[in-house]
Amino acid sequence: MKKTLAVATLFAILTAAAFGQTIKIGGTWPLADVTGEQGSKAAQLAVEEINKAGGINGRQLQLFIMDDELKADKGVAAIEKLVTVDKVDFLMGGMGSGVALAQVPTMKKYQKIVMSTGAASNLVEKALGADATWYFHLHPWDYTQGASYLEGWTAIAKKYPAMKIGKMFLAYEEGAFGKSSYDASKTMFAGNFKFDGASFKSAAMGGGDYTAVLEAAKEFRPDIFLWAGYDADALPILEQAKAMKYAPPLFVGAPPGWPKDFGKSPLANNVTLYGMWAASINDINPVSAKFYDAFIAKYKAEPATYFAPLSYSAVYVLADGIKRAGKDAFNKDGSVNNEAVIKALEETKYLSALGETITFTPSQVIKHQGIRNQKILQWQNGRQEVIWPFEVQTKAPVYPFAWK
Amino acid sequence: MRLNRKVIPWIVIGVAAAAAIAAWKPTALIYGVQRAGLYAAIAIPMALVLGIVHIVNLSHGETLMVAAYATYTIAQALGLDPWLALVPVMAVMAILGYLIFQLTIKHTLKAPELNQLILTFGIAITLTQLVTLLYTTQTRKMHLSYVSASLSIGETSFGVYDFVFVAMAIAMAVALNVFLTKTRFGKAAVAVGQNPRGAAIVGIDVQKVYVVIFTLSVILTGIMGSLFMTRQSIFPSVGGPYTMKCFSLVAMAGIGNISGILYGSLVLGLAEAVINGIKGMSGWSNIVFFLLIIGVIGVRAFKERKI
Amino acid sequence: MKKITSGIFPISLVLLAASLPLFLGAYPQAVARSVFTYMALALTWDILLRSGQVSFGIVGFYGLGSYAAILLAVRAGMPPAVAIIAASLFAALIAFALGFLVLRLRAMYFSITTLALAEIFKVIIHNWNSFTGGPEGIVLPQVVFNGDSRALYWLSLGMVLVVVAVSVFFEKSRLHYSLTAIRNNEIAARTSGVDIFANLLITFTVTSLLQGLIGGVQVFSYGFAMPDSAFDGNYTLLPLAIALLGGIHSTWGPIIGAILLGVASEYLKLKIPYGHLLVYGLIIILVILFIPNGIYGLVRKGRSKRNG
Repeated sequence: MKKTLAVATLFAILTAAAFGQTIKIGGTWPLADVTGEQGSKAAQLAVEEINKAGGINGRQLQLFIMDDELKADKGVAAIEKLVTVDKVDFLMGGMGSGVALAQVPTMKKYQKIVMSTGAASNLVEKALGADATWYFHLHPWDYTQGASYLEGWTAIAKKYPAMKIGKMFLAYEEGAFGKSSYDASKTMFAGNFKFDGASFKSAAMGGGDYTAVLEAAKEFRPDIFLWAGYDADALPILEQAKAMKYAPPLFVGAPPGWPKDFGKSPLANNVTLYGMWAASINDINPVSAKFYDAFIAKYKAEPATYFAPLSYSAVYVLADGIKRAGKDAFNKDGSVNNEAVIKALEETKYLSALGETITFTPSQVIKHQGIRNQKILQWQNGRQEVIWPFEVQTKAPVYPFAWK
Repeated sequence: MRLNRKVIPWIVIGVAAAAAIAAWKPTALIYGVQRAGLYAAIAIPMALVLGIVHIVNLSHGETLMVAAYATYTIAQALGLDPWLALVPVMAVMAILGYLIFQLTIKHTLKAPELNQLILTFGIAITLTQLVTLLYTTQTRKMHLSYVSASLSIGETSFGVYDFVFVAMAIAMAVALNVFLTKTRFGKAAVAVGQNPRGAAIVGIDVQKVYVVIFTLSVILTGIMGSLFMTRQSIFPSVGGPYTMKCFSLVAMAGIGNISGILYGSLVLGLAEAVINGIKGMSGWSNIVFFLLIIGVIGVRAFKERKI
Repeated sequence: MKKITSGIFPISLVLLAASLPLFLGAYPQAVARSVFTYMALALTWDILLRSGQVSFGIVGFYGLGSYAAILLAVRAGMPPAVAIIAASLFAALIAFALGFLVLRLRAMYFSITTLALAEIFKVIIHNWNSFTGGPEGIVLPQVVFNGDSRALYWLSLGMVLVVVAVSVFFEKSRLHYSLTAIRNNEIAARTSGVDIFANLLITFTVTSLLQGLIGGVQVFSYGFAMPDSAFDGNYTLLPLAIALLGGIHSTWGPIIGAILLGVASEYLKLKIPYGHLLVYGLIIILVILFIPNGIYGLVRKGRSKRNG
């Protein structure tokens, strides 16, 4: 009897050990930049939450974080390390398009399932090709963003007839981000709208002089003045516009993030913006509230850009897919059964902290594009309020924009 | 500042050019001058160190950045206006400059110039990363209503706050000129810059000159950092682009020629403003900057007929 | 006896380097490729430095080579090897032409002019949207060798060995004496019959060719070019730091410096994910302060002490 018990226990332990293996996720982020620093930390938070809730199908998650240093060669080396040394089962992360471009060949080599949170440039999509079914892109492409703005403004103009939107001027920073924003916007808007634009050197690159583009905008007299740059441009462009006594009816900013305490500045009031997430979504979405409170509690800092909730969602989407694939997710030798997990991920319907339900549909080249739209928000009383999509609207827009 | 006959035709050309710009687009002239003021004010302290201590300080931009962050922190913590916070920041920068010099730069003065270059490069990286760890890369900017101060001439309204930088640049140039030509220490410093060994022989304390001049340069850069912060957003790598631009400006003006920096920055600022004002050409303003620099350096080398 | 031993050590090192992929995985190979790129750039910078000229513009010819190579492949359909060689020659040609203007300058003026040239190349490529793809860059349909780590490693190793060979050639040939003479005292050099301009032009053209070669190899290894990555500011000053920390005016110096800094930075990254760059900056400061002649400089001093 004792012998049978011993053998049974040994069997149980061995079986538990085989199933107790962790699921390894490897992520690359630019850790020196606040987007990557918070993105990686948000992913870590998600992993810990899932583990505390019992893991996935009885297995715990383990996250490996590597710094891509926003450099092509370091980004590639990071993936090599995650796959060949840490032997991760899944890849995630990303922010910059340049690094993403460099990583594509290496990702193709290993064909691990990737839950990408970065790269807006459609060049990355072209490099991936239609066969990259293992690549799941959560972040919108520049052209899907452009389409969403068109949809958004058209819907807003319809619902609020007082707001005129027929003429748009885009001041864009001269780098890859600004240029792709300009190209995407021009394609979308030049047909039905009067559209013009001019480039400026972003303060993030040593520029910071907007007088030329502001003067050009003033001459053009648009209904919408839109600038695509970085957080360093946010207040200076407002200050210079005020000094030039230029107040377009809609002052719209589209940086990936905003300066700390921007909301506290009186100039911020009623500035419209493009974005993917704002703290006001906490009021209408419990996932966002949970993420927000947990992030602040653990890291004593507010999420500075949408990359934090996006990375958080990425982990949950991936985990959810693995869970639904159930026993088929892994082969007998412990490796990932890509087909099964991809199939499960394709059926994703995850209500995310960003306020929208994430599903995967084809974009121009790849099969699995997650989020397509940005939102249109507005700073009101120091807080970013969602204007559009109307399903997640937190406040009605204030129009027109004026200096106090 | 020397005003001999050679300079007069250049002044006439300069005034004519300015008038032409003003006739075409008055705001281009205004913004060009303002931008020139910013460049000059940041470049003058670098020229001071280069001319006397003969080191290229690649952490110059980072010094600016650290002062900006110090001003931001003190101003926020004590609820002060940055112009007032400037005073304690000057003290902080003086200490920082002194420490950096005594702990690191002093020990490389006998070594080849390249060592000093890479040392300051290392200092630049260290300062940037230190600030990143303390503040993250998220931009900071204080809201100050006076920064949007504006003036209207007819239909055109333009910002006037940036003339502060022009004033600073001129004040610095004048003050340094007086300091270097009229005070005993200043004259000794000039002597050290021209011939350190000769200066030592006549009894000048060369080490003391180095320490004082370097610390002074850091203090001046610190003041500019505080002012910079009122006008521009700050983030850990904000200083980098300014280091190289200043270095180019200083090279263009010629080592030790502080008034040359004023003229040079004026030309560069106006050229940038003009190019930016032409529709579709703003991407090329950087090229104009560097072509001008190459041009001036080339002309000077040709005139002096280097080997 | 000395000649044999002085030959055996480098040769065994090359064999060791070539056999690395057989017992080290894809991750060390990828790190090694970065090390080789910086090593090669540091060597080209050092070769010109031996004449006394400090260049701040090595990224300019590196970027030119990158873009020339990728454009020849994408727009003219050239195969990789041909494109890389053609791109290197293109960089050399530009350097040769510019050399007539630029090599008359000395000291800081030369340095700033090389910096300005690199910036000008970058802006032209950045703005010439229709041809170069503008700020968003150009992508190659295929990476060479289909991204096979070992093949890419050997390609990179081959590239750096070419640069090492050129550096050794500059050390062993008559050029060594001419360049050293120019560096020490131009007037004396001219008096003893050295054609300063010709020597500088040869050195400038050859090093620019190599920088173009390094850029071309890089672009085919990673499959894309963007102005911000092809003209990355890190390529301006880090090779200088590497050469200085390793020991300037030598071939061993940049080799040692690149391995030291490259491995250290990757190791630090693994140990201190958030903040490793701070330690990196401190290392640069400390080595410059305490080992002013570079690591190879220590070796040289020790050797000369031993030889009396």
